[in-house]
Amino acid sequence: MKTVSLALVVVVGMACAVLLLRWTDTLRPPADPNAIDESLYLNGKTARRISLGFNGLMADWYWMRSLQYVGKKIINTPEDVSIDSLGQLNLKLLAPLLDTATTLDPEFMDPYEYAAIVLPAVDVQQAIRITQKGIDANPNAWKLYHHLGYIYWQQRDYQAASEMYGRGAQIPGAPAWMEAMKAKMVGDGGSRATAREIYKRMYEQAGEEQVKDMARKRLLQLDSFDQRDILRKLFADYKTRTGKCPDSWREMEPVLRALRIPVDQSGAPLDPSRTAYVLKAGECEAELDWRKSGVPLR
Amino acid sequence: MDTTVAITQSNTRAETRQGPFWRVTAIARNAFREAVRDRVLYNLVLFVLLLTVAAIFIGELSGGQERKVIVDLGLSAMLLFGVFIAIFVGVGLVYKEIERRTIYAVFSKPVGRGEFLVGKYLGLCLTLLVNVVVMGVGVSLALLYVKRGWDPLITTIWPAVLLIYIELMLLTAVALFFSSFSSPALSALLTFFVFIIGHFSADLKSLAVSLGSTGARWLFTGLYYLLPNLANYSFITPAAHGRAPSAGFVLASALYAFVYIAVILAAATLIFSRRNFK
Repeated sequence: MKTVSLALVVVVGMACAVLLLRWTDTLRPPADPNAIDESLYLNGKTARRISLGFNGLMADWYWMRSLQYVGKKIINTPEDVSIDSLGQLNLKLLAPLLDTATTLDPEFMDPYEYAAIVLPAVDVQQAIRITQKGIDANPNAWKLYHHLGYIYWQQRDYQAASEMYGRGAQIPGAPAWMEAMKAKMVGDGGSRATAREIYKRMYEQAGEEQVKDMARKRLLQLDSFDQRDILRKLFADYKTRTGKCPDSWREMEPVLRALRIPVDQSGAPLDPSRTAYVLKAGECEAELDWRKSGVPLR
Repeated sequence: MDTTVAITQSNTRAETRQGPFWRVTAIARNAFREAVRDRVLYNLVLFVLLLTVAAIFIGELSGGQERKVIVDLGLSAMLLFGVFIAIFVGVGLVYKEIERRTIYAVFSKPVGRGEFLVGKYLGLCLTLLVNVVVMGVGVSLALLYVKRGWDPLITTIWPAVLLIYIELMLLTAVALFFSSFSSPALSALLTFFVFIIGHFSADLKSLAVSLGSTGARWLFTGLYYLLPNLANYSFITPAAHGRAPSAGFVLASALYAFVYIAVILAAATLIFSRRNFK
């Protein structure tokens, strides 16, 4: 009898506790949307000092926090954004999080890579500082020079980018393309070919999946630019022959097929993500189908 | 077998096993059995759960850094669990015998106080060794699972595991030292402080150098040399990056630890020998 009573207290009590918790959840004031951006109360040096030998684990924690912080902001954004163009998301805590992770564990490479790809759109000076910090702590890591070169290339400072690739090329174990990239930056920094080379190497070398995905999408975007240049030439030829722009893809289909450009059933050419381009009727222009295409719009 | 022969053999065995080594071994074996009976090794269950969860879920949260996180988490848990065992079991090793009055039965035999302390110490070290080895195997298995095959990190973590074990041996000796003259609560607190300050050794040294006052410089330099330098045994983060400590470094750190342990146990024996249990 006593056992049954006690068991009943446990079961009923637990059920009541669950119901009370659900009720309390409905009464709780909504979470402060700015709380996610509250400044870190421990800087990297202090965190390292108090880590008592657990600095590696704490670095992992700050790294995971960085990913969750960016991920939450992206999820709460209605439009599709690429991780290298997150400036609109107010990521003011990202630099301190990555800085703390790399201070706790200076050999942890992924935060430096993330800082080079994501941070320039938020705070380019912090991105440069953190990547340079990584170079100072890891002088034999040629990849960090590649990351810093990428930041300078994005800022159109081709001279500084060339210098970084040149310095990285001197490090034992650095691949030969680093030296080639140094020359390309000086001669041809703003070209599509250089951009393609950079994203191709980034895709090959990246350790972090999000960075690989970003590089893959940028390569698709570059391919799409090339495709649309070809389509513009074809539109210009068509206009010269007929005196007008095509009203549908059917009118262009014979030319597209002759040039072995992949088309769908309606005759529309396919973009690098195998989605049909949208014809802007009467304008001699093709654009990406923003609802379905896997090619980034920006 | 003839009972007389058996008894004689047993007596002969008893006669040959009367040296300090056998007495210490007997006490050590008993201390290990007590720790097992007290379910100390059940912390391994929690450790296995932790590592299993990490191996399965961490990959998604860490952007593909699961190997590093498993090594960091596994070795950090090894150190943390080991510290708790070294402190909370270590401070109770002597105290429990005094509380239960079983210490009178022990010292009614020809067992020296030093032999008793060393035996207890070695027993707890054996418990920690089992703990650390099982955890090290657990981390290795977790790495095999996430890599779906051989991972070079499996070989590089073991020198770090050895350094962690040596650090735990040091802490156990400190806990035993404090428990030889103090209450368990105070001994635990003091040992914990030594653990924290021991990891701040580098800061103690740089404080001593940077301070203007001679007295303060002497104080911090004294503390730096008096307290065990535990920062030397923290090789968890480099191990997660595939770097193992050099053999020379491990040897020097091990020698330092053994000398320090000998000093601490000698001091503990000195204090314990003068202790009145009434």
